[in-house]
Amino acid sequence: MSAPSATRPLTETIVITGIGMVTPLGSDPAAVLEGIKAGTTAIAAPRNFDTSLFACPVCASIDDFRPHDFITEAKLIRLMSRDAQLAAAAAHLALADAGLKSDRFHAPEEIGLFGATGMAGLPVREIAPLLKASTDATGRFDMGKFGEEGLRGVSPILSFKILSNMPVCFVSICENIQGPNAVYTPWEGHGARAIEAGILALIDGDANCVLVGASDVKTHELAFLALEQLGLFESWKRSEAGLAPGEGAVFLVFETAATALNRGAKTYASISNWNFKCQQGPPQAEVLEAAIHSLAAPQIGAVIAAANSDPVLDRAEAEALWLTKIDSLPRLSPKQHLGDLFAAAAPLQVALAALLAKQLGQTVLANCFGHGAEQAAFLLEPL
Amino acid sequence: MRNRVVITGIGVCSPVGSTVAGFWENLLAGKSGIGPVTLFDASTLTVRIGGEVKDLDPAGLAREFPEVVHETDRKIRLGLTASSQAIRDAALEREDLHTAAVFTGVSLESFPLEQAGMASDAHDLIQAMVSQSGIRLQTPLDRLAHIMGAHYGFRGGQITNCSACAAGTQVIGEAFRRLRAGWCELAVTGAADSVLNPLGLGGFSLLRILSTENDRPQQACRPFDATRQGTVLGEGAAFLVLETLSHAHRRNARIYAEVLGYGTSLDAYRATDPEPGGRGAVRSMKRALVDAGLHAQQVDGINAHGTGTPKNDSAETHALKEALGHHAFAIPVTANKSMTGHLIAASGALEAAASALTLHTGWMPPTINLDQPDPQCDLDYVPEGRRVFDGKVVLSNSFGFGGQNATLIFGKYEE
Repeated sequence: MSAPSATRPLTETIVITGIGMVTPLGSDPAAVLEGIKAGTTAIAAPRNFDTSLFACPVCASIDDFRPHDFITEAKLIRLMSRDAQLAAAAAHLALADAGLKSDRFHAPEEIGLFGATGMAGLPVREIAPLLKASTDATGRFDMGKFGEEGLRGVSPILSFKILSNMPVCFVSICENIQGPNAVYTPWEGHGARAIEAGILALIDGDANCVLVGASDVKTHELAFLALEQLGLFESWKRSEAGLAPGEGAVFLVFETAATALNRGAKTYASISNWNFKCQQGPPQAEVLEAAIHSLAAPQIGAVIAAANSDPVLDRAEAEALWLTKIDSLPRLSPKQHLGDLFAAAAPLQVALAALLAKQLGQTVLANCFGHGAEQAAFLLEPL
Repeated sequence: MRNRVVITGIGVCSPVGSTVAGFWENLLAGKSGIGPVTLFDASTLTVRIGGEVKDLDPAGLAREFPEVVHETDRKIRLGLTASSQAIRDAALEREDLHTAAVFTGVSLESFPLEQAGMASDAHDLIQAMVSQSGIRLQTPLDRLAHIMGAHYGFRGGQITNCSACAAGTQVIGEAFRRLRAGWCELAVTGAADSVLNPLGLGGFSLLRILSTENDRPQQACRPFDATRQGTVLGEGAAFLVLETLSHAHRRNARIYAEVLGYGTSLDAYRATDPEPGGRGAVRSMKRALVDAGLHAQQVDGINAHGTGTPKNDSAETHALKEALGHHAFAIPVTANKSMTGHLIAASGALEAAASALTLHTGWMPPTINLDQPDPQCDLDYVPEGRRVFDGKVVLSNSFGFGGQNATLIFGKYEE
């Protein structure tokens, strides 16, 4: 199967000047990287819900997240889903890391915001009372009771919690970002599209600085139900192993190298190239190979693997790396330590690749493969 | 080098018609597609009206897309209907589509609560849902793009944008930008939405942005009218085929209009309200004008976001005057939602189709139900009925919940 290449020569050098993350392994990017290298894992049986109904018994949760540490307006916190709270926290940390909290070098309208979100993060405890009040004596949903009783117990802000763009909009509100924007959903490849959109906004001159990233929360019953029904837990049924859903948010600050130099910003790495390929059906090694083939430069020193513990995807990725002759390179597999962050996985992969590129002084390949049709890879170069 | 980008195919599925010809005829005639909700029993809800698609052809859809015969998510049926129309309208061959990218706009998952039983608690709900494998509370929002990709073999990208009410405009803008920059030559782009379900209609009614005038549905949505009380939810889909001009010429494609510019911005104000001064909307329009290389005085008509909510319409009017200066008073402004209702994610795509048809046919649709002009809304909203349009540039606005703004600028196609 051949597919058109999305790679193009970059007319600008795009650099990462800020990284912010809230993950099951913590919020300090360097410590998260070291934790992964040391084999630390946050994957465990959840404490907030019973997984006995699902094939997957584990997830990677963030236990100590306090939104008030990052969001000053208490009223705003009440309007926000957990996805939105995590997004706002990670964005805050990324801007602070880039030195843009204290130094508003860029006007609000010059900063772009491109994000991704996962499937609506509505905990079942928020809809269970509504359903209970809307059910007749036989246990069936009763539309009359829904209108007369069920809706009475629903918060008017429910829509804001299930609208998929809201986590990113709350970032704009919390951080006063007014520039070009877009929000994508719901899988790993869509988080990668947010990264690409940020790069394109800088290349096109639409923004002087962009904040790109994503948040996703898959550590509650409704998310487990959706993943189970979509067949993503099948490998657990066959082999008592498989993907571990996680939660978290990761945001990155991108600027052109010239802008970063001009304001004396620290830099992690540059994004020297990227590629997308479309895949229908189960993961195919040749599609993943096509995604990384044009990026597989001899100077690559390490790979941040997608490795999401789905045997089919993992086999396809291993074969793609072998076909590209980079299978012997050192490899980190973040999802095996902090779970699959789905929409937020690609920003995490790219953030870790940037940190590793800076640390090693070598180019690092970030594979952003996953569910859905879009399969992406990014190349991070040390500066 | 920048490619010129043209519209060569249009497909619509709307409350005022599910063919391009029917949609356009009814829109120009000022016919309302708003009526009592019939898709489910809404009799105990505060809001019981909406813009339903009445002439969806399930048998025809099943023949064309047998893979979705059991699909329960209505926006997917609407989206497939509109996108297949657009592809046929553009007379594309199947091999053309393999290199194409698909961009879809959607808003929120449908949560068909009515399919869920509830015995006593959350655990029981989950247990019931796990055991009833055919019932899904959530369908991933990329499903429409995924089905289209698998059916037509799109391999140039499958992008799903969820920027709420701005999604339909953003996906067309993103496709335009990529074609213009040479990333691809052909894109199928548009949006689909239906929130006319118990949780959608019930949830939005709690926000107090919907008109509750259930006894006069066709007059309930009154953009820019002094007595407007709120918007009316609608459902539908619209898709466009965009291609580079050289690609269109190579295959002798009919051209409806040209896409000239695209801009976006964020209000960064409140989750619940638009910024009253319309500053975000102004930036969105100005960005689109700069992107198109046009001056404000070159805009000949506006397809407004025009929702019929008190806050939106005054803010948008203010923003139009700010962005276009005194020229805003000299050009017609139409609000299609007065007839279709608010299609949420799909509204921008449907209004983009209407903008292209305005340029192609030389007619601008009216804004209906505008009987008592609001002194704060003092532009020319075409209240009297359809109007001859001999202009060359139409600007279309979409403003989303959460403060996302997007603007497209279309031009009459000239060699």
